[in-house]
Amino acid sequence: MAEATQPDLAVALGRLRLSWPTLMGSGCYGSGEEYAPFIDLAALGGVVLKSVTRHPRLGNAAPRLVSTPSGLLNAIGLQNPGIDAYLENDVANFADRPCAVIGSVAGFSVDDYAYVTERLAARDEIDAIELNISCPNVGTEGETFACDPSLAEAATRAARGVTDKTLIVKLSPNVTDIAAIARIVEAAGADALAVINTVRGMSIDVDRWTPRLGNANGGLSGPAIRPVAVLAVWEVARAVKIPIVGQGGIETARDALEFILAGASAVGIGTGNFTDPRVPLNVVDGIRDYLAARGHSALSEIVGKANPRFAGVR
Amino acid sequence: MYTLERSPAVHRTVVSDRREPVPGIVILGLHVPHLASITLPGQFAMVVPPSGEQAATALGIYEAEGERVSLMLVVVGPRTRELAALQIGAPLDLLAPLGNGFELDALGDNVALIAGGVGIASLLLPAQALAARGARLTLLYGARTAAALVDADRFAALGAKVVLATDDGTRGHAGFVTELLRALPKHAFSGLAACGPSPMLRAVGRAAAYLDIPAQLALEETFACGVGACWGCVVPHAASSVGTPVGLIRAKRAEPPARESDRFCYARICKEGPVFWAHELRW
Repeated sequence: MAEATQPDLAVALGRLRLSWPTLMGSGCYGSGEEYAPFIDLAALGGVVLKSVTRHPRLGNAAPRLVSTPSGLLNAIGLQNPGIDAYLENDVANFADRPCAVIGSVAGFSVDDYAYVTERLAARDEIDAIELNISCPNVGTEGETFACDPSLAEAATRAARGVTDKTLIVKLSPNVTDIAAIARIVEAAGADALAVINTVRGMSIDVDRWTPRLGNANGGLSGPAIRPVAVLAVWEVARAVKIPIVGQGGIETARDALEFILAGASAVGIGTGNFTDPRVPLNVVDGIRDYLAARGHSALSEIVGKANPRFAGVR
Repeated sequence: MYTLERSPAVHRTVVSDRREPVPGIVILGLHVPHLASITLPGQFAMVVPPSGEQAATALGIYEAEGERVSLMLVVVGPRTRELAALQIGAPLDLLAPLGNGFELDALGDNVALIAGGVGIASLLLPAQALAARGARLTLLYGARTAAALVDADRFAALGAKVVLATDDGTRGHAGFVTELLRALPKHAFSGLAACGPSPMLRAVGRAAAYLDIPAQLALEETFACGVGACWGCVVPHAASSVGTPVGLIRAKRAEPPARESDRFCYARICKEGPVFWAHELRW
């Protein structure tokens, strides 16, 4: 008896081919190595590495995390060794990863984005680049790029000019019209969009009269932001043709399917890994079962199916 | 092969026994085949919530023998409430063992263990290991009130001299356990090992410096990942081998030039710790 054919879950983001439609969110997954004892990395579509900047960054003062209802507020502050030390000490370790390895670049000027992208993308260990133009936790500079259309365009164009590898641009939800930014970033040469980064937030200790985070404000992630993220994907999917990586509070296959039906081709999982490192496996298994039960042969068949004005390419 | 055998994993356990010595403090015994033998004193577990509706919780490993480990938890919120409600036979998954554990050999043969509240949970395994190699033990154990002092007799049974303190004076010294250190002469012990809330550990660190006794502190912290991935649980630490950027604690001071002791980095409590030498912390 012939076995039933498994639905095809592979995804293309520009030139990048993912075996599974799951990317581990930048900053939540280290370099992947930290989670290797708990999950087979080959079962992941890819790992988006922790962001790297031109110069070393000490990071923000503690506390850097606060639990909030159904959410996690963080302000890490892009702690990283800087691109020189990163290339020298870290990148070689990524060579044997059995999933896609996506470098994440953060910056404080257009030139930073070009410089760090060029150096990082030149390494064979790196399969693609995510441009983090939306970090909310480094003063006003970090997120400015995702919130100002001309800067978002300039940073994307600068990075596009220095690499042929897949360029994913990570957008901020902290804007009035995310679709307008998405259109501009697409026109500037992005191959894909990651939607969304964290939502700005704050928690205050009413006994001590002070914000709970060392950095005062932070970025909110987890199930609390999922409806915000699904709507952002819905709106962006009506505005651009390039694929979208939908992310924000995904913990189950049904959560992921909301994003896919809104128009995402793949999903990002970040905070969900902190509940259980097997969440990415459960998401893939659940999506496969869902497609099989409905008689679909490929994930691409259902992308954007809840979104009547889906403008993307399946 | 040594490192491979000791490497952490997802362990599927089953609640084998459950004890609530005081209302609000629960000790969960877990049946798990291959964890006790690779657990080092001072290591912890990330406990995966059975409901999948909460983030995982870090708990120090209290007991570890044969095919059983146990965890001590205080009910403080929804995560611990869910765990405290587990009954015998319930499955519970752990990521374990995590963190570095104590360097017990560096503490000498006359060791004081200093526990604040459920910090006691991270000190039983060190006490057993120290007793096994013949070290003289003293337990200084403080809690809010007499009823919240748990299992001090376990330490006495290992031969430890037990000195108690309660905030409300219902048992032992009335006041903080760290106040007991003030009356001691220099070099009263060959080493200190402490676990408890941060203000207590800072006080232990200051006392250890004054008494000139090497001290290892097991930090209690809320983790997100617990495995070194997210950099959320950091503590300022002497600039070292952690491989992360170094800053200056008094960066604004122009003169005199920064000393070596001003240089620090942010170390991950879950990865480089949770046990740190007191003299290397810059908090």
